[in-house]
Amino acid sequence: MQNFTKYLKTKANIPEPEFQLLIKKVEFRNIEKGEVLLRPGEVCRHSFFVESGLLRSYTVDDSGKEHIIQFGSENWIVSDRSSTFFNEPSDLFIDAIEDTKVVLISSDFINEASEISSSFRNYNQIALQNHIRHQQKRINLLLSTNAERRYMNFIKLYPDLTLRVPQWMIASYLGITPESLSRVRKELAHKNFKPN
Amino acid sequence: MNTKNIEIVVAPREPHYVGDGFRVHNFIPSGYRLDMERMDPFILLDYNSPFYFPPSDKPRGVSVHPHRGFETVTIAYQGKVAHHDSSGNSGVIGEGDVQWMTAASGILHKEYHEEKFSREGGYFQMAQLWVNLPAKYKMSAPKYQGITNAQINKYQLKDNKGVIEVIAGNYRNIAGTASTFSPVNMFNVRLEEDGRADFSFPAAYNTALLVVAGKININGTQTVAENHFVLFENEGEDINIEASEKAIVLLLSGAPLNEPIAAQGPFVMNTREEIAQAIKDYNLGKFGYLEE
Repeated sequence: MQNFTKYLKTKANIPEPEFQLLIKKVEFRNIEKGEVLLRPGEVCRHSFFVESGLLRSYTVDDSGKEHIIQFGSENWIVSDRSSTFFNEPSDLFIDAIEDTKVVLISSDFINEASEISSSFRNYNQIALQNHIRHQQKRINLLLSTNAERRYMNFIKLYPDLTLRVPQWMIASYLGITPESLSRVRKELAHKNFKPN
Repeated sequence: MNTKNIEIVVAPREPHYVGDGFRVHNFIPSGYRLDMERMDPFILLDYNSPFYFPPSDKPRGVSVHPHRGFETVTIAYQGKVAHHDSSGNSGVIGEGDVQWMTAASGILHKEYHEEKFSREGGYFQMAQLWVNLPAKYKMSAPKYQGITNAQINKYQLKDNKGVIEVIAGNYRNIAGTASTFSPVNMFNVRLEEDGRADFSFPAAYNTALLVVAGKININGTQTVAENHFVLFENEGEDINIEASEKAIVLLLSGAPLNEPIAAQGPFVMNTREEIAQAIKDYNLGKFGYLEE
């Protein structure tokens, strides 16, 4: 819970007395690789702060194909915010790609934290705006750019995931076929590889 | 005699799979007191104790992955592995063979059970070591030494009581077959029952052994069983190994590099910045390309 503590204290700027109150209100869980945290049809009751490990959120289409919406490694929050806020069934699966330690953040926690700490309220507001910005950029990338641009964007956002997740998952996140991803990586190698 | 005593005997941990073809016990770096700094320059040891893999049409193994900053040494005891890398090297290593791959500035490789072995199934037993490179060689050109058992220089013990295969380093004026970038001794000690051998390494060298088969007695004081790992103290120089029953021992002794270690996944460098650079270079294709 080192990362979550850092998140509350440094990023959300919560002073020590408030921190002591708030930290009691969250739940910590160890999730095994493959364990599912949310299924379509369920209402998403928590945001999952990743202390260590790796989560993903994804949908499955009618033909059974998975489409990865988001990866969440250390310090990321994975959730279905709209399901939580509007209290409606989610379309998403959330599961663990690696053994993962998560902090379960409930709406109650967000509300209480916002009440007792103005800095948390501000931080949560910024986090929400960031989330919207990220979503907008992602929609635009998926609609208007080629496989290489998507990949270049991906390695900037998630530098070490190429070492942690299989190619097909990256391809699924990028909305391209694994073959296209191989082609992009091959072309990059062709361009950038200089044997010494 | 200035005996080098045992510091600790480490039992094998629960095995885990690397890819789907290597069922290994990790000793270095996750074993108790076997972290990279303590074991320097030996920064990883995975040991696949004898395990039966049933026949499979699709060879099991590990798909394409990168390395930078160190060398991987694969020692085969049973079964066969086929290897391909982005420098164009490939080969099959079988019982008694050693593959010494210097990843250095960066390489992509994949390792699978050899096709025929995979089709027929069988017992598989291998050790993989990562040997760290001195900072000044971390970004040098990759290199590959495929060493068959016949090519390994050997020291015969008296009365056919065994043989010391000198993979690297030096044993009684028999020079190791593999070339290394820092002083490293790596021997396969094969002893018949009651066979014994004496070894001497500088006190400061980090020295350890793995009992690959059989049972041994060390310095006449302690019996060590199969699959157990022994770390020696950094005092004293002389070690005696006697086989209580026919045994194979992987013996390691190397001069510590005493340089900072920054490690993440398949990269081992000296600083966090160099690790970030390695990740970036890998993502941008600077390690080359290798077909899955």
